Amino acid sequence: MRVTICIGSACHLKGSREIIQQLQNLVSQHGLTGQVDLNGAFCSGNCMENGVCVTVDDDLIAVKPEGVQEFFEKEILGRL
Amino acid sequence: MGITVDVAYKSLNKFTEVLCGDKVEILKTDDSDILILADGMGSGVKANILSTLTSKILGTMFLNGATLEECVETIVQTLPICQVRKVAYSTFSILQVFHNGDAYLVEFDNPSCIFIRNGELVEIPENIRVIEDKKINEFRFRVQRGDALILMSDGTIHAGVGDLLNFGWEWKDIADYALRQYRLTISAIRLATSICQACDDLYMSRPGDDTTVAVMRIIDSKPVHLMTGPAQNPDDDKKMVESFMAGDDNTKRVVCGGTSATIVSRVLGRKLDVSLNYVDPEIPPMAFIEGIDLVTEGVLTLNRVVQLLKRYVQNETVSEAFFEELDKVNGASMVAKMLIEDCTELHLYVGKAINSAYQNPGLPFDLGIRQNLVEQLRQTVTAMGKQVTVTYY
Repeated sequence: MRVTICIGSACHLKGSREIIQQLQNLVSQHGLTGQVDLNGAFCSGNCMENGVCVTVDDDLIAVKPEGVQEFFEKEILGRL
Repeated sequence: MGITVDVAYKSLNKFTEVLCGDKVEILKTDDSDILILADGMGSGVKANILSTLTSKILGTMFLNGATLEECVETIVQTLPICQVRKVAYSTFSILQVFHNGDAYLVEFDNPSCIFIRNGELVEIPENIRVIEDKKINEFRFRVQRGDALILMSDGTIHAGVGDLLNFGWEWKDIADYALRQYRLTISAIRLATSICQACDDLYMSRPGDDTTVAVMRIIDSKPVHLMTGPAQNPDDDKKMVESFMAGDDNTKRVVCGGTSATIVSRVLGRKLDVSLNYVDPEIPPMAFIEGIDLVTEGVLTLNRVVQLLKRYVQNETVSEAFFEELDKVNGASMVAKMLIEDCTELHLYVGKAINSAYQNPGLPFDLGIRQNLVEQLRQTVTAMGKQVTVTYY
């Protein structure tokens, strides 16, 4: 599974770094390093008001740093 | 033969003084580069005024084609006379290097220029001319690529006098030290800083005199192309990338901006790999495109680059700590380092499109300031003595 986190200027200011750290931790805690491929991406022009742009496979989801746990359970664990 | 120079200097103020009594001027004419170092008598305000007047007069008159006699005469007649010593006095050195390789060195009462060629010291021959009762040494020669010429104020040779060293740091020993540092450093600023640092150490961080080292290195021209921002009209993307990619093998290329990087990747048909490695929490990670030297995020990175370059231009803040900052591997430090140490001319390719996503008042930083940053970048790099061109799309 390919997960792409935007690190463009706007998303960076909304907390890309924190989200990446949390996701890296969660992925390794669950032993999913081989299955979940975390990537960075620059602005794709899909900026959303309510969070950082994260693409899971081809779905665009807005994620806030405080919502990473929920996102991980629903969108990553839920899809595996 | 198209001579290009890398010029920089570093000064230490006499302990407790706020102003430096040495003054360096770096100038460019259409066909030459000029480096002037003046050392005013005494220290503090008085010395600062004397050396500023001297270097400014020399610079302005040289730029306008005055002869050495006219320059010296003007200085003698202009400098205010010291109440205590009843003389008007400032030493000076002038180094002018023409683009065709001709060079002209004029020295008055400063320690002699250190001239390094092919890893060896070259002696400056004595050729004294007396103008207005002043003995002035003139030397005309040709420069070669790789040459380094070091001008100094006498604070260098007085370093440690009577304290760590009986007679100060003798010229020959400074020259030998410079020769060793020449091999270890790549840029003029690192060479100047390392010699100044050694002086500061000998003074035990309490310089007994204003100390200045100004360095000119003869190098290959090193153009840097920097692209930032998408073109206002997307139809111009291709044209913009083509100009950005133009230039010879020497040209270094930098893209600052996520959307710009995406455009370059698309137009060139080369893959864009974005790193997740946050080296610095405030600067977004870098990316990679084959054939592009640096790919970074846009305005946040450029903002930091401008801050670093401004620190550099102010000079007082350039120290070993500054270089540690410059040697970090975050996008901003790497771009700043390239502009300071690996660039003789900067060509900016700037897109004027407004990113609608950035027009969000909820963001804690105004991202719509690209053109303002570009203007600051242009001014700062120009102040570093490098040529800058800006093309808008």
